[in-house]
Amino acid sequence: MLAEMMKYKELLYFLVHKEVRIRYRNSLFGFFWTLLEPLGLMVIYTIVFGYILNVTEGRGEGIQHYSLFILSGLIPWTFFNNSMKKGTKSLSSNASLIKKVYFPREIFPVTMLLSNLVNFVPAFLLVFVVALSLGHPIDWGQLAMLPAFVLLQSVFTLACVFFVSVLNIYYRDVEFIINLVLRGWMYLSPIIYPVSFLSQNESDLVQQFADFYFLNPMAVMISLYHGIFYENQMVSPGFIIYTIVLSLVLLFSSWAIFKRLNRRVGEVI
Amino acid sequence: MEAIVVKNLTKHFRKAYDKTLKGFFISLAKKEKRYKEFTALDDVSFSVQQGESYAIIGKNGAGKSTLFKVLSGIIAPDTGSIQINGKVAPLIELGAGLSRDLTGSENIRLNCAIFGLNKGRIKEVYDDIVAFSELEEFIHTPVKFYSSGMKARLGFSIAIHIDADIILIDEVLAVGDKDFKKKCYAKMEELRDAGKTLVVVSHSLKPLRKICDRALILDQGRVADVGEIGAMLDQYENEKKPKKKKQKGA
Ligand SMILES: Nc1ncnc2c1ncn2[C@@H]1O[C@H](COP(=O)(O)OP(=O)(O)OP(=O)(O)O)[C@@H](O)[C@H]1O
Ligand SMILES: [Mg+2]
Repeated sequence: MLAEMMKYKELLYFLVHKEVRIRYRNSLFGFFWTLLEPLGLMVIYTIVFGYILNVTEGRGEGIQHYSLFILSGLIPWTFFNNSMKKGTKSLSSNASLIKKVYFPREIFPVTMLLSNLVNFVPAFLLVFVVALSLGHPIDWGQLAMLPAFVLLQSVFTLACVFFVSVLNIYYRDVEFIINLVLRGWMYLSPIIYPVSFLSQNESDLVQQFADFYFLNPMAVMISLYHGIFYENQMVSPGFIIYTIVLSLVLLFSSWAIFKRLNRRVGEVI
Repeated sequence: MEAIVVKNLTKHFRKAYDKTLKGFFISLAKKEKRYKEFTALDDVSFSVQQGESYAIIGKNGAGKSTLFKVLSGIIAPDTGSIQINGKVAPLIELGAGLSRDLTGSENIRLNCAIFGLNKGRIKEVYDDIVAFSELEEFIHTPVKFYSSGMKARLGFSIAIHIDADIILIDEVLAVGDKDFKKKCYAKMEELRDAGKTLVVVSHSLKPLRKICDRALILDQGRVADVGEIGAMLDQYENEKKPKKKKQKGA
């Protein structure tokens, strides 16, 4: 796969470049939306959950600066969320091309991942600006691991995108399902609340659920990003290994599924 | 040497069927097969020599475009083998390989990249493509605002400039104006003389006589006949005429 990608690197570069440029075409703020969007969401969530629902009251020790907490989870989540949404449609929206010329179709999901990565990296810098301006401490050791976190998340995201993009050719329901799943998935990940809230909750149901919480790979990955700023948000190494293995297994199996379903893409699209 | 060798190629399509759950339960209740198979290409075998110009003729729905799609890898065949020696530039139906939201100039770069041209080479051919298509004025307009003829011009110009050895041309010239058609036919002859292999699908038979050497008649997915262009065109036209007369008489 990588060898074939290298052959088409000119094309890949062109598509990623186009995707990044076209996204904010005809918009006043252009590329700044990469930063404005998460900032706006941060403000909304901080007002709704931090002030109106006041989720941190009485148990917020350990998550100082709630807005920073939100932002540091929200930006990696946005990377996943946007890659999935765009990725689902990456094949179906290029039907006119796919029907008329042949080239490796995996280029489209990969393009979506890379173009979202291009937006994700500067957006994560924003988290530092916010952390520094709030005077929040940063765990430099964890920060050095950031490229590894991003790589892990990219592998997992690519695996999901391969699968949903090709499935969406056969059944357009996937698009609608994905939107719903992503919404639920976000609330099942530690973005607006820290994981410690689960263990503080008295309900038995929540207690039982907490044991399985980190089976959600996104929960593990978001916690890894949190770990850069909040040392009490770290996950146990067991779950990290689980996430790495799961991501790799998913990548290989969804790649196989992609190859298999790809055979009829040219005629059903 | 052969440029294209096709052996016993067969392709089935599923006819449109109700994919919804409702349709699934209805067909389950009726105990019938969910979809019917349709044979678009049936045991097709032929070969094209290198440097030859080859015409494929047949009625609407005979499977000509399907054959081109299989040759260029867009559709996988069910059975049979295809051997292709050289780089193929497919020009299939209108708007071939053009992305609607991109401008003409972006589409040129996109297509050149798809066909594996590197940056330097793209720069070299870019001006030639624009000049041949005569679209200088509209080159920065998104293709969705192009007329059909303009799309055909752009598609054709790209296809002949990407250093392909084999060019598949399906029907794209049908919408070009008189001058452009003339220019394209002249170019096709020039390409043929330069040793390129051309495979042409067209419903306007007259120009084929001049450009092509041999022809294949496709009838409902089967090869009806292969032979020298003049003989094939005569046969195809004669076959068509009696039918027309009958219809008129009825
Ligand atoms: N993706 C597809 N799914 C199902 N059926 C298809 C598909 N593509 C083509 N067909 C069917 O295959 C048959 C051949 O179509 P094709 O487009 O190859 O015809 P053609 O010879 O190019 O006709 P024309 O002269 O009108 O261009 C038609 O009956 C068409 O309905
Ligand atoms: Mg056709």
